[in-house]
Amino acid sequence: MFDTIFTSVESALVVLLLLTPVISGLLVTVFKRKRIIETTTIISSFLILIQGLFLLTSILEKKSIIIFDGIFYLDSLSAIMIITISLVGFLSSLYSVNYMGRQYDKLIVDRKKLVRYYQGFNMFLFTMLLVPVSNNLGIMWIAIEATTLVSVLLIMLYTKQSSIEASWKYLLIATVGLSLALFGIIFFYYANSVYDNSFNSIHGMDWTNMAENAPQFDPNLVKFAFIFILVGFGTKAGLAPMHTWLPDAHSEAPSPISALLSGVLLNCAFYGLLRFHIISSRSIGSEFSNTLLIILGIISLGIAATSIYFQKDVKRMLAFSSVEHMGIISASIGFGIFLGIYGALLHVINHAVVKSLLFFSSGSISQKYQTKSIADTSGIIKTMPITGFMFLIGGLAIIGMPPFNIFMSEFLMLSSGFSSENFLASALVILFLLIIFASFGKHLLHMVFGNPKSKMEKGDLGKLSILPMVILVSVIFIMGIYVPEPLQILIEDASKIILVGGANS
Amino acid sequence: MFDLPTQIDLLHVSAVILLIATFGIVVRRGFSDLLHAYRYQTIILAGVVALIAFVTGIWELYIVSALTLGIKAIIIPKVLFYVTKKLDSPIKLEMNPYVSLRISVIVSALLVTMSYFMALQLPISSDDTISVFLPVSFSLFFIGLFIIISRRKALSQIVGLLTIENGLFLFAVVVTHGFSLIIEIGLMADILVGVIISSILLFRMSQTFDSIDIKNLESLRDD
Repeated sequence: MFDTIFTSVESALVVLLLLTPVISGLLVTVFKRKRIIETTTIISSFLILIQGLFLLTSILEKKSIIIFDGIFYLDSLSAIMIITISLVGFLSSLYSVNYMGRQYDKLIVDRKKLVRYYQGFNMFLFTMLLVPVSNNLGIMWIAIEATTLVSVLLIMLYTKQSSIEASWKYLLIATVGLSLALFGIIFFYYANSVYDNSFNSIHGMDWTNMAENAPQFDPNLVKFAFIFILVGFGTKAGLAPMHTWLPDAHSEAPSPISALLSGVLLNCAFYGLLRFHIISSRSIGSEFSNTLLIILGIISLGIAATSIYFQKDVKRMLAFSSVEHMGIISASIGFGIFLGIYGALLHVINHAVVKSLLFFSSGSISQKYQTKSIADTSGIIKTMPITGFMFLIGGLAIIGMPPFNIFMSEFLMLSSGFSSENFLASALVILFLLIIFASFGKHLLHMVFGNPKSKMEKGDLGKLSILPMVILVSVIFIMGIYVPEPLQILIEDASKIILVGGANS
Repeated sequence: MFDLPTQIDLLHVSAVILLIATFGIVVRRGFSDLLHAYRYQTIILAGVVALIAFVTGIWELYIVSALTLGIKAIIIPKVLFYVTKKLDSPIKLEMNPYVSLRISVIVSALLVTMSYFMALQLPISSDDTISVFLPVSFSLFFIGLFIIISRRKALSQIVGLLTIENGLFLFAVVVTHGFSLIIEIGLMADILVGVIISSILLFRMSQTFDSIDIKNLESLRDD
């Protein structure tokens, strides 16, 4: 089923895609001038976006690309990840100029830290891009672990007590979680090596190889291994009850990084989970992993619902909303029919877009109000008209109001829940979504339309902070009305890849 | 060189020594004692890997063993020793952990029992090295986890994390017989970077809170 296609264009593209952030990181290290490191990062992340789009078109055409003797393997699923990473990465680099510039002016960060921030930013992009392109699951694991390390460095940028606490918890929990995932990966490798001794060891960990041999795996071993994988990557993907690091880390990171953490990094870990979901489905049928994914998804939704209701901190609220949306994606995949999987993958993109908009706008808002407390932030629309409007759009989109994009994917998810006859799960999803709708909506209305507490100077925070938000809002509107055709084909292909295991059993 | 029974004996003996070394970590209180205990454990682990290389005849494992010795037994303890020396906090030992050391030993023993039980349940065909070392690697993982949750000082938690990593490493070597050198190297690099980052965090912690007690790290919560 996996045709080996070797083309020089694609291999060059993949290498460039990975090299661009590395080179840009090196340039940042060498030049240290503020203006230069900002433009370097913007240019490099723009180049990544362009390269990502080129890769997307060739994946649309060829369905899957295997290059360099199977080290890199890209299919529609990887393309979705690459496009999400590069889009949010580019916008985040734009937004960083304003946000970090302000922190720099306020003397919260000095030059040295600014350099470290941009180094970290580039390396973060590099490690995240490495996840969807690597075929060897061991290398994928190393890349995911590396994302943890780099993002801890970015959270540690501030020397506040709370940042130290957040990074310590994040480092410990994520590393322990991921070590469980590696146990799972090794179990899968073992199952593969028992079946087929002929390969040399480096290809035994290839996803393509494993997916092909999966029907011959020992079913008990696969079940055991998948639980390890689920707990391990689930920790990193922010699925409850392993999500405890997430609100701390996401709320303490600088806002552009929070956007990357919430919008993209969680998806990277979930991508790892999905790859094993496919292997396990091909081996023992999809029912086992589907049930587990639904259970974790519902728990995440429930915990997010209660936490959002009682939340006092804006960024923590957004972080819990990420737990909620990872839960939605997970349950939606778990429903196991084409419609649901399509909705889940669409939701990956939609959530990334909306959540970055929210983190960008809340970053500007908290810089203006100098607080992250929900109670003290009110009347944004009066003090910062444009940012307030963007925040409102993002907030309405994230709670699933029509006509925005999240409504579409949540609708697909719910209808797939009912047509796959998971009535209890779907009912619970509706209940939790309603709670979140009400509580998030209440906080949102208070923040946007309430009366400003003290007299504040009116005005937004500069064009470069608005620009990325405008782009995101237009994406939200467009995706709310229709999904562009290439994207539609891409997501359909990816859904078929996930569904293959389920269809055969 | 040896006949078969001797080999199995050797494997068993080395497994027991590794477990004893792990208990050595559990009972240590002072920071430098703890790090020494970790170093002994890692040296024994490297020896075990070399032994497995000898028994199975896979030459890559010798390189892995040498790497373990170089990175995990020399560089990482050196980094952590440097950090402990520089720490501001005057008290450099685990004063009163959440679980007392005496009970820790009992809990660890139970964890080892549990690991042997778990390994029996696993549908993994028993090749000699696997049947001997699989439960040991689980034990290391669980004991490391236990150290992380039962200790108050951040440094002890790092050692717990490293013990987990050692267990994982042993598991990987035993089950896959050295899956590939590139991945082993990547893994080690990840661990090394992780240790360096956590050392920086330790520094910051001792500067901001005047101690590396994790009871200071309880301000972020939702209530």
